[in-house]
Amino acid sequence: MKRKVVSLILVTALVASMTACGSSGEASTSGSSDSTSSGASSEEAKDDASAENTSATGEDENTLTVWAWDETFNIYAMNEAAKVYQKDHPDVKVNVINMPWEDTQTAITTAATSGDYSTLPDILLCQDNAFQKNVLSYPDLFVDITDSGIDFSQFAAGKTAYSVVDGKNYGVPFDNGAVIACYRTDILEQAGYTIEDLTDITWDEFQTIGEDVLAKTGYALNSTEAGEPDLVMMMLQSAGASLFDENGNPTIADNDALKKVVETYCSLAQAGVLQITDDNWDEYIKSFNSGKTAGAINGCWIMGSIQAAEDQSGNWGVTNMPSLVGVDGATNYSNNGGSSWAVTSNCKKTDLATDFLNSTFAGSVDFYAGILPSSGAIATWSPAASADVYSEPSEFFGGEPVFTKIVDYASKVPSNNTGAYYYEARDTVAVAITNVMNGADIDSELANAQATVESYMQ
Amino acid sequence: MSQPMAKKKKLSLTKRHNLTGWAFLAPAALLIAVMSFYPMIKAFVLSFKSGSTFKTMEWAGFSNYIRMFQDTVFIQSLKNTFIYLIIQVPIMLVLALMLASLLNNKHLRFKGFFRTAIFLPCATSLVSYAIIFRSLFATDGFVNSILTRLGILHTGYGFLTNPTSARIIIVVALIWRWTGYNMVFYLSGLQNIEYSVYEAAKIDGASPIQTFFKITCPLLKPTILLTAIMSTNGTLQLFDESVNLTGGGPANATITMSHYIYNCSFKYVANFGYSAAMSFLVLILVAILAFIQMKVGDKRD
Repeated sequence: MKRKVVSLILVTALVASMTACGSSGEASTSGSSDSTSSGASSEEAKDDASAENTSATGEDENTLTVWAWDETFNIYAMNEAAKVYQKDHPDVKVNVINMPWEDTQTAITTAATSGDYSTLPDILLCQDNAFQKNVLSYPDLFVDITDSGIDFSQFAAGKTAYSVVDGKNYGVPFDNGAVIACYRTDILEQAGYTIEDLTDITWDEFQTIGEDVLAKTGYALNSTEAGEPDLVMMMLQSAGASLFDENGNPTIADNDALKKVVETYCSLAQAGVLQITDDNWDEYIKSFNSGKTAGAINGCWIMGSIQAAEDQSGNWGVTNMPSLVGVDGATNYSNNGGSSWAVTSNCKKTDLATDFLNSTFAGSVDFYAGILPSSGAIATWSPAASADVYSEPSEFFGGEPVFTKIVDYASKVPSNNTGAYYYEARDTVAVAITNVMNGADIDSELANAQATVESYMQ
Repeated sequence: MSQPMAKKKKLSLTKRHNLTGWAFLAPAALLIAVMSFYPMIKAFVLSFKSGSTFKTMEWAGFSNYIRMFQDTVFIQSLKNTFIYLIIQVPIMLVLALMLASLLNNKHLRFKGFFRTAIFLPCATSLVSYAIIFRSLFATDGFVNSILTRLGILHTGYGFLTNPTSARIIIVVALIWRWTGYNMVFYLSGLQNIEYSVYEAAKIDGASPIQTFFKITCPLLKPTILLTAIMSTNGTLQLFDESVNLTGGGPANATITMSHYIYNCSFKYVANFGYSAAMSFLVLILVAILAFIQMKVGDKRD
């Protein structure tokens, strides 16, 4: 009897698991059969899928579904934006879903490759570096919002450029990625320098000061991850240069600005002024948090990580980054990271979506003032800087009004072209730099990198 | 099933047996066909196409396969994978075999404890063990601080920023993770060897080393073959270690084929045709290597 009961349970479990597997198997085949099967059946599959997924975008006409990835930062900002908008439109609901960027990109790729956008939300947050890639690869992925009434001229030009393709705006810029140079004022003082000595300087001057600081205190002035060319990209953009021309063709070989950047990078690293950490983010953060490096040059969002070392409060200063020597259009301003909101073509309420973005992220000083203190999300929308909170001094950064500074820097950032093949180019340039650091010839390495990127584009 | 079918009644019985057999086989066979073989055929078709979306994809003939051999990064990943294979698999299997025969000793105490301890790494998740190894070998990580404290090194050594040492770390990590797993196979294989064979060898005056090479190894041959094929297969599909431990760096020195296939599908501008073609090369390589190992290792037929 006992045995019978046990075997009955086992059989039930088996059958249950089989039916579960069976149904998922069917779903996956109907999805992939889209590719080759005739129009009729793919149409059917689509209908099925959209019927299943209407909940993803919300059947309710007044509900917007949004994907973003940071609870304390962009998700928080979106929820606050919803509250602001609900004051005038009490029946509108915004449903924010936490979706890491890697997962968002995978979902975009899957949806766009199969031509079925019904799995996407109404609005999603897109990394600026991946924006052009997604628009150029999948032209009907995002809605063109150029004529939606949003005034794009009020955003920092270098920032808006990320989400513009062929003169059309596809995104509402969100967080600021303006590059700031943060230095430990206490260490500089030991070596006899002040933050003013490091303001509006060139990389050559930076190296001279850096070598002096290193000799006197044992501290490097900056650090970067091996294998991640963030710093290289920042240097390049500071002179308005890119890895691609306006038509999207790679300009890695015979690019004087890039060559100068690589030379500067290697020279700084070899002098020890630039500390190269292991190829992961934790090691990079540790380099200045645990106090081996007396500076950090990165997008302004790096302030959050710097402030994690509470014992260093008051010992940090913020200024602009050094500029390249002998390159046309060299400035002390650049950008790294940041993201923009995009309306997907799955959105059936584009008017509501654009009006929502227009009256919050592109139209409310109060909104930006509200989210700044707890999230540190600095606007790229220039009118926001007039809010009082922006001029409040930051105790951690030596009692200076750092936010006003950053908004000012952001407005001076030269724009550049990321192109569709940005990540490919970035990786190949990183390989070239590692090889140059190990003694390879710059010109031939950059020519190799160019050839590699071209092979991806065929 | 192949009994002589003389009488009518017996025939129907065999038939019924056959039917029962097929009834048991059918669900599993169907599931494998739908969920494994069908996608494989689809992927094979895909590998001859190119384009960024399924709707705009066009037939590209063998261009994806030709491109593969002109792609320096892919060639590099192929080389890296084979370096791991050639160095790591033999070391791991020999170690596992030695540990298994040590732990098979009847007179050993705390056998259960040792077996569990050596098998335990297999229970850790691939991602977390890779991240733990990464922080162990970081420039100011655990290993470096011990070496500097002992005075062996002056400053921390960049284990993961030097191509050779980064590869060695991956091999070490793989050995740590998988030796216990293979050892369990050997242990179960050893249970099938009669203890009297060892006693006879002892009486004949064979040394432990002779017993190991003349008795244990030949009798374990089928198991060794199995583990060799499984390890080869696993190494060719290596992914987590490359992504999480070294990130494929420095300068692609540790990137594996699967990692590169992932990049081409999801990090870069998606090219599923090319990715599918590369995946099929991995499949072909696994098949060839398994075939060679079967021919070399199994002399039964």
